[in-house]
Amino acid sequence: MVKKVPYDEALKRYKPMAERPLPPSAEIGEDILRTFHPDYISDRCTELTVGANAGDKCHRQLAEILQSDARIDEADLAASVEEETDVLVIGGGGAGCTAALEAARAGVRVMLATKLRLGDSNTVMAEGGIQASVDKDDTPQMHYNDTVKAARGQIDRGLAAQMVTDAPDVIRWLIQQGMQFDLDQYGDLISRRAGGSTAPRVLHYRDYTGLEMMRVLREAVFNSDVEVRDYCPAVELLSDQAGHCAGAVLSSLKSYQFSLVRAKAVIIATGGIGRLHLNSFPTSNHFGAVGDGLVLAYRLGAKLRDLDTFQYHPSGLAYPLHLGGTLITEGIRSAGGYLLNANNERFIDELKPRDSVAAAIIRECLEGRGIDAGDGTCGIWLDTPGLELRNPGIIEEQFPKLLHLGTKCGIDPRTQPMLIHPTLHYQNGGVVINKDGASTVPGLYCVGEVAGGVHGRNRLMGNSLLDIVSFGRRAGLAAAKRSHSSSLRQKRISVEHLSAYRRKLMLANMPLEQKGPILFPEYAKFENDSDYSGLRKNTLRKSTEIAE
Amino acid sequence: MKPELEQVLNQVLLRPACRVGADFDAWMWDVGGKGLDAALADPAAIIPMVKAAELRGLGGSGFPTWFKWNAVATETGDKYLICNGNEDEPGTFKDRVLMEHYPHQLIEGATITSIACGINHVVFYINPEFSAGITAIGRALEQWRASEWPERIARDTGLRIDYKVQPSSGHYIGGEETAAIETVEGKFPFPRAKPPFPSSYGVFGHPTLINNIETLCNLPHLLQNGVDWFRNLGLGKATGTKIYCLSGDVLKPGVYELPMGTPLSDLLYGYGEGMLVGKELKAVFTGGPSNTILTPKDIDVPMDFESVAERRSALGTGAMIAVSRGTGIVKKVAEYVSFFAASSCGQCPSCKTGTHNMSQLLNRIGTGQGRRSDLDNLDNLCKILPGSGRCPLINGAVKVLDSSLYHFRDEYQQSLTD
Repeated sequence: MVKKVPYDEALKRYKPMAERPLPPSAEIGEDILRTFHPDYISDRCTELTVGANAGDKCHRQLAEILQSDARIDEADLAASVEEETDVLVIGGGGAGCTAALEAARAGVRVMLATKLRLGDSNTVMAEGGIQASVDKDDTPQMHYNDTVKAARGQIDRGLAAQMVTDAPDVIRWLIQQGMQFDLDQYGDLISRRAGGSTAPRVLHYRDYTGLEMMRVLREAVFNSDVEVRDYCPAVELLSDQAGHCAGAVLSSLKSYQFSLVRAKAVIIATGGIGRLHLNSFPTSNHFGAVGDGLVLAYRLGAKLRDLDTFQYHPSGLAYPLHLGGTLITEGIRSAGGYLLNANNERFIDELKPRDSVAAAIIRECLEGRGIDAGDGTCGIWLDTPGLELRNPGIIEEQFPKLLHLGTKCGIDPRTQPMLIHPTLHYQNGGVVINKDGASTVPGLYCVGEVAGGVHGRNRLMGNSLLDIVSFGRRAGLAAAKRSHSSSLRQKRISVEHLSAYRRKLMLANMPLEQKGPILFPEYAKFENDSDYSGLRKNTLRKSTEIAE
Repeated sequence: MKPELEQVLNQVLLRPACRVGADFDAWMWDVGGKGLDAALADPAAIIPMVKAAELRGLGGSGFPTWFKWNAVATETGDKYLICNGNEDEPGTFKDRVLMEHYPHQLIEGATITSIACGINHVVFYINPEFSAGITAIGRALEQWRASEWPERIARDTGLRIDYKVQPSSGHYIGGEETAAIETVEGKFPFPRAKPPFPSSYGVFGHPTLINNIETLCNLPHLLQNGVDWFRNLGLGKATGTKIYCLSGDVLKPGVYELPMGTPLSDLLYGYGEGMLVGKELKAVFTGGPSNTILTPKDIDVPMDFESVAERRSALGTGAMIAVSRGTGIVKKVAEYVSFFAASSCGQCPSCKTGTHNMSQLLNRIGTGQGRRSDLDNLDNLCKILPGSGRCPLINGAVKVLDSSLYHFRDEYQQSLTD
């Protein structure tokens, strides 16, 4: 039994102090990741046996859904309506909206299908900001260096270079769309320094940058020619005779009717996997983040990468328990907030990359310097009162969302520290893409969190908002270009690739009980209490249940 | 796979010793030459042998091979042999394998045929998509020409055989025999009206024999091992072997050479190892797929020409497309009929418009837009279209549709809007 300090006792011990020097003992060793980071727990990984990544390491829970049986059979599509568009975007977050907008502006027909509603995504949860080297002392080269250094080697340097080069123009584009950023008295963009960066580079709008971005993108999509389909998750991709991507099967959550959307290019922007709760971690992700896009792309033969590495954000809320996993922005640490253990000591330089900080917090908890939040949860203090003492008024001015979260918790972060613990935050790997977001399957593009290689094994704060807009725009344009140049002759569309994949699963003796994509986390329980028959049926995930 | 199944698999044409590619020496090392020796020893005995062995046209017709041969052999002057490798129908992929990996077997078979019928022009008529097959046969022919055989054949029989590789037009209809003749003459593959039959009036008016690749590949083995051996290969009354192309929702699709008359269940469950994900079998589209659909009650049918015909279907090319409960019939049939619609050469109006009409109605029903009147129209077309074309294309398209309407009418009805 690991020793923990009870919450109330720890709170009594805590005293707000303006200055707390970093003790020399807080210098972390090289092996902190190996010892304490959840990615390095060896038995959590397995080797994939089927598909384009056979033989590669993959997290067990992810492998289970990647190597799952399809939800649908060809027979389920009997009498399903066939529709046609040029570019089909799957996913209604920041990446999907950006791609849809750029494709539509390039003059092609665009349909955007989303599992929930447009904007229900992790983009709205991004608080800290977006990186771009726009300060006078900063350069894209420095941005690139920081990104590559934090990535711990496993990064596609071409993608990273493309992203940092695009960054200033991404900001310009976002401002053109109507997005607001925090400005100084002269009207210049204000930037903060992210953990792991050498220069202040994170542009932000208070502590809800992503929400502001999504607000603008959503308005722009509604005011464009993009046809939006809410509550229509894609349950399978369609392939043509050559095995190229030729559209997708959408399943309406309201009516449980399938429709076959024929498209010249498909852009998957379905986000990450937080709601799989890998290693039983809480997550900061939204409800639909269960890796649908990965499953669909993998079945069609797309190559994936880095499936054994995920980002655990250091500051997920640990107390009160019912809000466990909720994100507290890294902006607090960027602004100078400290992390304290139960002994009121700092134990790491708070601006180290996220994986190191998360590992250090886990170490504190495992070594008995954590604070008990009840129900087995343990955490350490985020010293917001100390920050307030050093910069009076900063929390109210720059972190209104944190104040609001505090109200929900019954805690005033200006006088009382918040208890935090790492939360499953981001999927570092994903579908292999090129600079245009094109996957290894012709006709299939992937952007945003579903794609891999851009951030290596560890992402810097603010680089994901940059990633989704940079590659979202590129993929949108590339997809539009592809549909302009593709032949007018109609290709035969089918789900024949499913037979091929099922054959491989059977020959590898894989169990075929799990159905994928799973669409919603297991605890959703829509099958009992949803008003929508489609939603009830769509949440059944074992073959026996479907037969019933 | 069970050992007893393994034992009868790939005994003749697809046996590993024959899979030598374009390597003349390897072919002659084990299998090659012996059949030719036998043929040259007594050319007049070949046709009676083929007759006694009951070798049939394996490209789909099942027509007795000796009959066509006899007709050509009795003619005089320049004669043509077209080795038909146009293979283009969904679910058939056996000739491709024979041409790519067994070119010498084919060349020897074609040569024996030429000796039997006194043919001096051999055309390897190959689907242009099979570039590997075209290359393999081209290279094998060079080796053949450089060997002692052409000289020996000329010395023994007085025949100087001229071999040629000709890519076909790539149209499905180009596989029909009179259409093949048109292509070899350099024209568009419009099927001709018969009679006159090709055996008397074929390429440029010369007597012409057209045989499928698989049929021809049998000859070196038949000549080498004799009639009794060949007859004993088959099960029941059937003779020889057949290459079956298994595809669809089975675990292990592929080409399987088995004794002619092997039960369908052996192919599906023994060699194909059953249906994907353990789903039940729903239907089997045979050889084309331009024949009547087989249903699970036909699972015991011996796969030879007569036995399949007794179930009101046809063996065709030996293609067996197995469909499980997980696959919708309407879309599958729509797919095949649209293939026929796209493949119709367009010279017979009833076929040109009929196939397109059927295809459109099927697509409408398959995508949930169909009405009861569309189904009635399909029924009506099935009655009036058969026999209205010069070649059998329209009949095949109707057969597959008609039998699906017979066996799976409920699926059609469920897809209707009214």
